[in-house]
Amino acid sequence: MRPVVKLLLAAIGLLGCFLFGFSWRDIQRGEPPSTRALDALVGVKVTPAKLTPEQVFEKNYNRILVDYSRHVDPTDLKYAGMEGMMASLGDPHTIFMPPKDAEAFSDETRANFSGIGAKLMTEPTGLGAKVATVFDDGPAYAAGLRAGNIITAVNGVSVADKEIDSIVDRIKGKEGTVVKLTVIQEGKTKPVILAVRRARIVTPTVEGKYLPDSKMGYLAIYSFSEPTAEQFDKELRKLEQHELTGLVIDLRGNPGGLLETAKALLGRFVENKVVVTMRFRDGDEETERTPTGELHNFRYPIAVLINEDSASAAEIFAGGLKDYGKVTLVGEHSYGKASVQNVFPLVDQASAKITIAKYFLPSGRFIGRKVDEDGVFLTGGLEPDVKVALTEDMQVEPGDPATDNQLRKAIEVLQAKAAH
Amino acid sequence: MNEVSKTLAAGLSVAAAAGLIAFGAVVRNRQDLGEPPIQGTRIAAEGLGTFVASNDKIGEVPEGDYFYEMSQLLKREYVEPITDPMKLATGAVRGMVGSLGDPHSIFMDKDEFRAYLAERQDKYEGIGVELALVMPNTPKQTSVHGVQPTAEPPDESMSYYPTYPKLTVVGISPGGPADRAGVKLGDVVYSVDGKWLVNSGELNAYRKAHDLFEAKKMPLPEFDKLRKELQAKTERPLMALKAKDLLTLGNQGSVTAVWVRKGEKLTTKMQKAPSTMGAPGQKDGALPLRFNSQAVETLKTALAGKSALTIDLRNNALGDFEQMRKCLAVVAPSGDYGMIEPDKKEAAFPVTVAHGAEHPPHLRLIVDSSTRGVAEAFALALSTKGVAKLTGDPMGPDHVIEEVVELPDGSGYTLARGTYEPTAQSSIVASRGR
Repeated sequence: MRPVVKLLLAAIGLLGCFLFGFSWRDIQRGEPPSTRALDALVGVKVTPAKLTPEQVFEKNYNRILVDYSRHVDPTDLKYAGMEGMMASLGDPHTIFMPPKDAEAFSDETRANFSGIGAKLMTEPTGLGAKVATVFDDGPAYAAGLRAGNIITAVNGVSVADKEIDSIVDRIKGKEGTVVKLTVIQEGKTKPVILAVRRARIVTPTVEGKYLPDSKMGYLAIYSFSEPTAEQFDKELRKLEQHELTGLVIDLRGNPGGLLETAKALLGRFVENKVVVTMRFRDGDEETERTPTGELHNFRYPIAVLINEDSASAAEIFAGGLKDYGKVTLVGEHSYGKASVQNVFPLVDQASAKITIAKYFLPSGRFIGRKVDEDGVFLTGGLEPDVKVALTEDMQVEPGDPATDNQLRKAIEVLQAKAAH
Repeated sequence: MNEVSKTLAAGLSVAAAAGLIAFGAVVRNRQDLGEPPIQGTRIAAEGLGTFVASNDKIGEVPEGDYFYEMSQLLKREYVEPITDPMKLATGAVRGMVGSLGDPHSIFMDKDEFRAYLAERQDKYEGIGVELALVMPNTPKQTSVHGVQPTAEPPDESMSYYPTYPKLTVVGISPGGPADRAGVKLGDVVYSVDGKWLVNSGELNAYRKAHDLFEAKKMPLPEFDKLRKELQAKTERPLMALKAKDLLTLGNQGSVTAVWVRKGEKLTTKMQKAPSTMGAPGQKDGALPLRFNSQAVETLKTALAGKSALTIDLRNNALGDFEQMRKCLAVVAPSGDYGMIEPDKKEAAFPVTVAHGAEHPPHLRLIVDSSTRGVAEAFALALSTKGVAKLTGDPMGPDHVIEEVVELPDGSGYTLARGTYEPTAQSSIVASRGR
């Protein structure tokens, strides 16, 4: 070989090496090398390159850190960016949780129902979450939390204007860990901070009550947890010691829980029937069916109370009952959470909760919530067969027919049915 | 060639090849970012598995990689296909700007930002007002040359609630829809088209009533009435920036607004129409000067052959800091004209005029509370150094200097850089121990 050829080959080899390095970023991303970058390299005039989304993010991140008038913690800013990024999808259930919030979300805690032992409800002024019930034997009660208190911050992070289930998500967490709640309590001039150690909560998720005036049974299901089906059977047995003319199942304020539980409960009513169909992004479908051999003989008409705080598994249960013609739905439309989330823990102990599938009710209906630009409900959720709003009265005691007009309506509906 | 030199040559070529690969990567990084390459290696090289935690290992992930990995995760897992990755970046920027919680650092979507840029060119839409988020307890400023700024008394102390800034009229187009309807400077938006603007004062009043009720000092019917009233309002609450959009975007249709002026409510129905702030025909032939790209030209033209000039700085809430600095150089002698002071522990940067006017004109500046931001800084800079006299009413006070950032999709945001402090005052401020 002549020296010239050797030199030429060597030069080509080295040029190849340079180009390989130059295109490394593209190769990493599995894209063909950028011709625009090459043009710019050899001096061909190119229109300014469009910034990639990453570059846009990074440039603005740096600009805020450097230029902004006040000091900003770089890590907090990064997390704020991630929260905004996930919020841009417009799905309230796809959220980013910085490490502090994410404690609650390791895989084992999803099955492990630990919490503070309290039930929350929407606070109308958007200040946070209102405490509906506190379980006597739970850690929240021991720490001083009482029904009627308003939780305005969780671990120092304000929960004003947050959706109720995102507040609940922030409060739940691994057994033994501590969550700090900023709480407005009646009669105190300043909010107090309560440190509550999360524990495994054996909550009474079902409570039954016999209503002697109407000879009806009333069963409130507060959530769909592991022991719920068992507790349902137990409470139902107690009620059936009376001669029932009807049964009201109260799912108002029930935020949902385990799909398994909704399935098991529906199995008391129908055998081997579709509960939900989940559709994933690649078009794959998965169908859940009720078990066999668990049927219960309900010899009386049944009504189910729902409202806008009935969500997720509660909607699956109520929707299934309605679709199989087993009950009359009374109250107001439900929340409309027709999606399934997965929690992805990340290396820095933050986590991402991402909606990975939608679900459809047995009739094929999709009940996903649609809101307008102010976040006000437009459509979605289950529509009640008999629509009735809760009276605007201060003294409504759920489960007490004297003050609870939705319950009264449900009783009327059942009485009309029994008369036929 | 003997064996040694062959090995040497081979070694050298490997080194050269590796060096060139690395060099190529560096060149590319610089080309893309216009700045040194990002620290840290991209985790993508090892696959997503290392970003989604598989064990208890804690790792710090640089922000650029974090963003990249999060977008990959969403693209792979989210139930809907993600068609516009730039939306994710814009959302992230929105999240970051929002997290600052600063009324001077505001993210604007495409429509808002377009209107904002037009306003800087004195082209207003909607009802023809400039609205700003003003904290109710703006601290009192010291008097500057007899111009005494005012501040609202703190009326929302003892509060359970965060105090929200109030959406306040800080500029009105003369003859524009709002002006004709009787809206005045300082009016606070109470509701728009029947939608109540979330108002910390009223939330606090409700809290107080609740305390009274709990203490059995207020009968149930009275409290229940208040409760129902608040509940009706909060059914469709309106956030301040949304209310601003309803009032200042578009030139079609009409809008009904309720304003609060000195505790009284005032209802106006207005037809949206284009308008301008610096309307001609102002008294004494005063020059309305807006600090945009035409500012220097406008100023020079007005000054041609004159030794005195009156500049009207009212209705002047939006302006570009650089243009203001160029205008300073037209009318003021060389020297230092105060500082931009960030609120963090970093050196303030001076506002300097390097090649100023050799024969500065006699200037009179007309100001009032609608003179804000860079316009207020301009007035303070000139009056403190004795270059100009101020007439009119107290200004802003709001001399926060903002920068404006546009994003590729047409949205954008403002970012507070610092507060302008005139030279004569900065020593006083410093001696107060700030």
